[in-house]
Formats: sequence, C-alpha cells, structure tokens
Amino acid sequence: MWFSRLLQRLFPPAPTPAALYLYLALAVVGSIVIIVALHRLLGLRGRRWLIAFVTFIAGLFFGLEYFYPVHGDPGKNFLSDWIEPVSVMLTVVGAFTVGLGIYSLLQVHGRNLARRRPGWHNSLAFFLATFAMLVFGLWEHYLHLPQPPPEVVPWPKGIYEILFNGLFAPLQAATFSLLAFYIASAAYRAFRVRTGEAALMMAAAFIVMIGQVPVGAWLTSFIPADSPAAFFRLEMLGEWVLRWLNTPAQRGIIFGIAVGALAMSLRIWLSLERGTFFSEQS
Amino acid sequence: MSAPQPTTLSDRIQQIPRHYVYLLLAGVVVWQLLFPIRLPITPSVPTRGVYDAVAAVPDDKLIIITTDWDASTQAETGPQTQAVIHACFQNHKKFVIMNLQPPMGVKLAQDLAQEAAQEYGAVYGVDYANWGYKYGYENVLMAMAKNIPNAIGDDFYGKPVGELPLMQGVQDIHDIGLVVIVTGLSAMTEMWVGLIQGPYNTPLAAAYTAVMAPIYYPYLDSNQLKGMLVGAKGAAELEAMVDRPGKAVAIMNVQSWAHVLIIALIIVGNLGYLFARGRGGGRQP
Amino acid sequence: MGSLEHANWFMRILFLSLCAIIVAGVLLAQRGREMFIRRIPGLTAIEEAVGRATEMGRPIFFSPGLDSINIVTLQALAILSYIVRLAAAQATRIIVGLRSPIVYPVAEESVREAYDAVGRPENFRPDDIRFISDEQFAYALGAVGIISREEVATNFLFGAFYAEALILTENGRALGALQVAGCPEPTQIPFFIATCDYVVIGDEYYAASAYLTREPTLTGSLVGQDICKAIVIAIIALGVGLATVFAPEKNFLLTWLGGGG
Repeated sequence: MWFSRLLQRLFPPAPTPAALYLYLALAVVGSIVIIVALHRLLGLRGRRWLIAFVTFIAGLFFGLEYFYPVHGDPGKNFLSDWIEPVSVMLTVVGAFTVGLGIYSLLQVHGRNLARRRPGWHNSLAFFLATFAMLVFGLWEHYLHLPQPPPEVVPWPKGIYEILFNGLFAPLQAATFSLLAFYIASAAYRAFRVRTGEAALMMAAAFIVMIGQVPVGAWLTSFIPADSPAAFFRLEMLGEWVLRWLNTPAQRGIIFGIAVGALAMSLRIWLSLERGTFFSEQS
Repeated sequence: MSAPQPTTLSDRIQQIPRHYVYLLLAGVVVWQLLFPIRLPITPSVPTRGVYDAVAAVPDDKLIIITTDWDASTQAETGPQTQAVIHACFQNHKKFVIMNLQPPMGVKLAQDLAQEAAQEYGAVYGVDYANWGYKYGYENVLMAMAKNIPNAIGDDFYGKPVGELPLMQGVQDIHDIGLVVIVTGLSAMTEMWVGLIQGPYNTPLAAAYTAVMAPIYYPYLDSNQLKGMLVGAKGAAELEAMVDRPGKAVAIMNVQSWAHVLIIALIIVGNLGYLFARGRGGGRQP
Repeated sequence: MGSLEHANWFMRILFLSLCAIIVAGVLLAQRGREMFIRRIPGLTAIEEAVGRATEMGRPIFFSPGLDSINIVTLQALAILSYIVRLAAAQATRIIVGLRSPIVYPVAEESVREAYDAVGRPENFRPDDIRFISDEQFAYALGAVGIISREEVATNFLFGAFYAEALILTENGRALGALQVAGCPEPTQIPFFIATCDYVVIGDEYYAASAYLTREPTLTGSLVGQDICKAIVIAIIALGVGLATVFAPEKNFLLTWLGGGG
C-alpha cells in the first residue's frame, strides 16, 4: 500500500542500536515540541476541537474496521492489516501513562514533604520504599555479577526478597484478610428477615453458603448421588441456585451495563459528553 | 447515628459487639488450622470442565495461563494457579504464564511453576515458559491474535520469546489450544471473550475468587467458558482431581466452619429480631 | 457459528440502529423535548446526605473509586462536581480521597471549578483533595484513617470499587456516617447494600449524571438507552422462542448474532 511505502521511506529501519535510541530520543523530543507548540498556538476552542477530532478518528478506526465489509479467507478489509501495528502503537502510548503516574506520585508526595502537610511522614515512607524497591529490584535483575555458589544468596536479591516476599506481599494479604471479619460482622448485623422476599433471599444465601463448602456435602451425604433425590443434596441445590436463579439476573445486569457503556462511549466518541473534563458546565 | 444501648435480651442478641464476632471467627480459624476436621471433597461440574479442557488440548498447541492476581487474592488464586499447572504437567501439555494486570502475578506464578517443574522434571523454555507482564490490556490481545512473538516480545527473563523451544511453530492465536484466566480482577474475562474467544473460537476456562464467580456463570452457561474454578473450593476440587492436596484443601477445612459460624450468627440475630418484634419492639440495627 | 471478528449485515443494522436511537434521543432533547426519568432513591438522597453533614457541622468524604480515567471515573467526577456545588452552597467541607495519580489533577480542577461556579472560590481547600496511595489496600486504610480522624458525617462512594469497598463502608458505618454508594460492578453491590444507607445499582450509575444535572444531552442519551434496552429484550424474547422451537442449525437468529463478515 502506498501509505506503508511512504512510511518506510520516511522512517527506514535503524542500522544500529545507537541509531535506534537516537531516533527514539528525537521522536520523544519532537513530540513534546509539537504538543507544546499546539498548546500555545491553539486557543481553548482550538484545543477542544483538536481533542474532539483525534478522539473521533481513533474511535472511527476500530469501528470502521469492524463494520466495513470483508473479502477473502480469512475475511479482511483495507484496515485489517493495520490492527496489529496500531494496537502496538497504542500500547506504547499507554505505557507513557505509567511514567505519568510515577511523575504524579513524586509530585504529590514531594509537595507533602516540602510543605510538611499533615501525614508528611507517610510521604517520606513512600520515597524510602519506592527507591529501595527500585534500586534493589533493578540491581537484582540487571546487574550481571559473577554467579555465587548455589547456597549463597546475593545480598541485593536477598534484600529484594525481604522487601517483596517478606513485607509487601504479606501486608497486602493481611489487609485483604480483614474482609473476612468485616463480612461476618456485616452479615450478622444487616441480614434481618423483615419481609417474605428477605426470607427467600436468606434461604437462598444459606443454601449457597453451605453448599459451597465440604460441610454442606457432608450434611446431605446420606442422599445417594445417583438417585432421583440427588437434586436435594446441598451442593446440588447450591449449584442450581447459582446456575438457574443467579445467572439470568446477572445476564440482565450485564445487558443493562453494556447498553449504558455503549451510550457513554458514543457520547465520548462524538464529544457530546458534558462535565468538567470535557467542557465548561452548561 | 450510633445505636442505643441494648436493654432487653432480644436487643443484646441483636447487638453482640463486633469484637466478640471477630474473636469467635478467629477462634474457629485457629481451631480448624490446629485440629482440622477433614471432609471429602467431590469435584463439581464446572471444575471438571477445567480439567477436561486442559486434557483436550492438542499436543501441538499451547496453553496460556493468565495470572492476573496479586498477594491480596493469593489465598484463592495461588492454589488455583498451582492446581492448573499440575493439571498441565500431568497431561503433558505445554503452557505459558502471562499477566496483563497487576505485575506482581507473574512473579508469584513463576515461583509456583518452578516448584512444580522440579517435581515433574520440566525444563523452562521447553515444557513451560513465562511471557511476563505485558502492559496494554486490549491492545496486547488484539496484537497477539495476529502475531504472538511480535506482540509479546521478551519473556520474564528478558529473552525474545521466539527463541524459546516451546514457541517453535507458535505464530498467532490459532496455535493456542486453551486460555485459562486465573484472576481476582473484573473485566479481564470480558476482554478475552470479546477479543479472543468470540472472534477466533479459542477455548477459554477460568478461575475466579469466590466473590466474583457468580457474575461469570452466564459465560459458563453459554459455553463461552469450558469450565470454571470457584474460589478456594474450585482449587481444592482440582487439587483432588490431580491428586495433589495442598493449601486449598486446608483452606476449605477452615472455610467450612467459618460459614457455619456466620450462618449461626445470622440465625441468632434474627431470633433476637423476631423476639423483639413479638414483644412489639423490632429494633432497627 | 461465524466469527465475531467483523460484523455481518445483521450486526451492522442492529448496532448502527442502536447508535442512531441514542443520538436521536440526544438531538430531540437538545431541541427542548421534555423527557421523563424515574426517581432513583440513591441519587435523590444525595441532597439529604449533604444536608445532614451541614446540620452536624462535620465534613463529607467522597471517593471516586479506584480506576484511572475511564467512563466510570468520569461519571464519578460528574457526581462529585454536583455534590461539591451543593456542599459549597451550604459551606460544608468536602474531602476527596483519590487513588489514581492521573485522576488527582482532574478531580482538583473539577472541585475548584465547582466552588467557582457557586461563587465560593475562597472556600476551596487544596489540602482537602488528597491523593492517598495507588495501592488498593493502602488506599483503603488511608481513606478509613481520614474518615475516622475527620469524623465525617456522610460518605459518598461513587465509581469503580473492588475488594476494599467493604473496608471503607464497614468502618464508615461503625462511625455512624450516612453512606451513599454507587458502583456499576455487580461484585461489590451486595457489600454496599449490607453496609450503606442508599445504593445506586448497575446502569442507574450511568444515569446519574443525566439525573442530577438534567442536561439535555445526557437526558436524551438516557432515554435512547432505555429504548435500546427494550430492543435487546425483544431480541432475547425472540431468541428464547426460536431456541425452544428450532434446532440450533435451523435457528437463523443464532447465525445472525454469530456475526461473520
């Protein structure tokens, strides 16, 4: 295709790794210059128009590729071959948000420290933890030191393991474990049989809770598994509630949310959405 | 909005201080960890579906195990991943681990895979591999569908995946025999169903935390998922099927009696409510 | 069943019709047509909840969820803007706890603009827009710390919440705060219902910005959505009937919905 040939002429493959890094650096700097120039030259309305245009084109690409008639086997249209490079490009662009996220974190915590806001010690802990994990993680992964004997753990790897497996992972797991206790107290406090519907819901909840654990199977193990009454074994009843009562309800919720998401996506694509992020409040 | 002090017995039954509830639950957990009452575990139909899906993968195709979980859900998703890895090794199926979010999952899963590989004499790069954490969500899947080596790039150790022996002949999604999604995160399944299972009919199975599993029964019912592991119970059932009882079985011992305790507390609370209502009270908690 | 990689004629007609209905709803509303939206208790309660905080002289806590910038978070920020205007008009303090560093500047701008819009720019406190942590449970514990230390009267949780939801709401309930939650994720709805006073469920959440602002674009889109849902229900009903009567290979609807180019 002519567009592919033009791109290959303008951007030939880099002959050496050094040339590749130079091209990447030039591309990043060039992009920043272009974006800053556009930001300065275009007024508020111009910027909004540009954002709306780029949003529309980006959405149009994937929509058009899906809807445009296809030919051949496997079915392809004139946009299909671009899916892979565009997806890779979007992945690269999206990866910049990781850098943006890190920059925002440093900025926010740095401001807290500089101004000694309440809780500044948490921001100090953030910096210490971040740099410790960064230094020892990169050191352990990238610095190719001579291999020690198998029984000796290199000390950067040891510190990294202490920070990750000894501190970070157990802290996360421990906090998640709090939920078990909160579930118990919330269930005890909130589940009251005030109406007939509540009683039905309670019965279903008991069946599913007990049916999902070995105690439930044990309680009704006297019912033979291959008999007509096997349906009344608690694990079978629980499975029935989940597959035949829960599933249609979940389907209804999924459809509703999908249509809602379609509408919102359409509004964003056509720049019809209102709100602070998009335009001045009406 | 703090509750008034309980005066009658029925009020006290409805307002057991939450510290006592926590202590009771902690007591049950410690009791079962120290003195477990082992009850038999029978694999359910959804769990059998996962095992059968693994066994049915053709020998020349790869299994992808996506480990989109971290330490917070490790109690459920860790044993699930381990059981699936055992099922792959026992059925002599080659598999790769990958992760779209959060990054921690591939490291935790790699530790599990290495441990299991030692047991079966499996070799990294030949029998299994780790594609690592790939940022980009839908974009990664769309690119993978057309060209896996380009989309994935390097593995967990920084080596180009195309150079791994088990990747010989693996070009695009048609060379994948099964995707097993092990996750504690929402929205991962919808991505795989929408971009991989739907367009390319790639078989899909899944393992979820118990909280998430109910919302994915529609996918199981419509055969978009071949099988599903539900929480620690599903992991315990698959451990039983692969004859490797491990952490999930221990967790189920605890969970059984924790569920019994919660049901007992709910019943006690409702008894207090009914007594109070009978007396003309009926306290709003 | 055909591939879903590209649309077939049925999917083109169906999808484009759904989009056209939504856009038509927007255009009709913009031309002044009155459109009815039923009462959504969780959203109607927002004013009551803000009033409660004002009477008690205690602040409000708002969490826009844990996701980065996406349609769920944008909806949450629209609700935040509405709540801030209500609170600012009553000189009630509102603390926003954030998880995503990318949402942080957007939320700060949103709150500042809301204070400006009601003519109270001097009441805006940048320190009340707090980025807590980008780790899920560190965020939850930090938010609980804020809720407890500030003794908030009202808790608003709108957005994408996951496992940490119960940590937030159970601690808020223990403090006696009035809690209003809204989340499109079905997994957390049971926990919100058990611990919150008002809950906005499923696609009521996406209706929130239209319901609160009555902006014609949003209202028209909402009505268009409802018509689309009616069409989907009709297709489901037709599909159930056909699947009951015909074998799969003779079920034309199954073939049409399978897509294929």
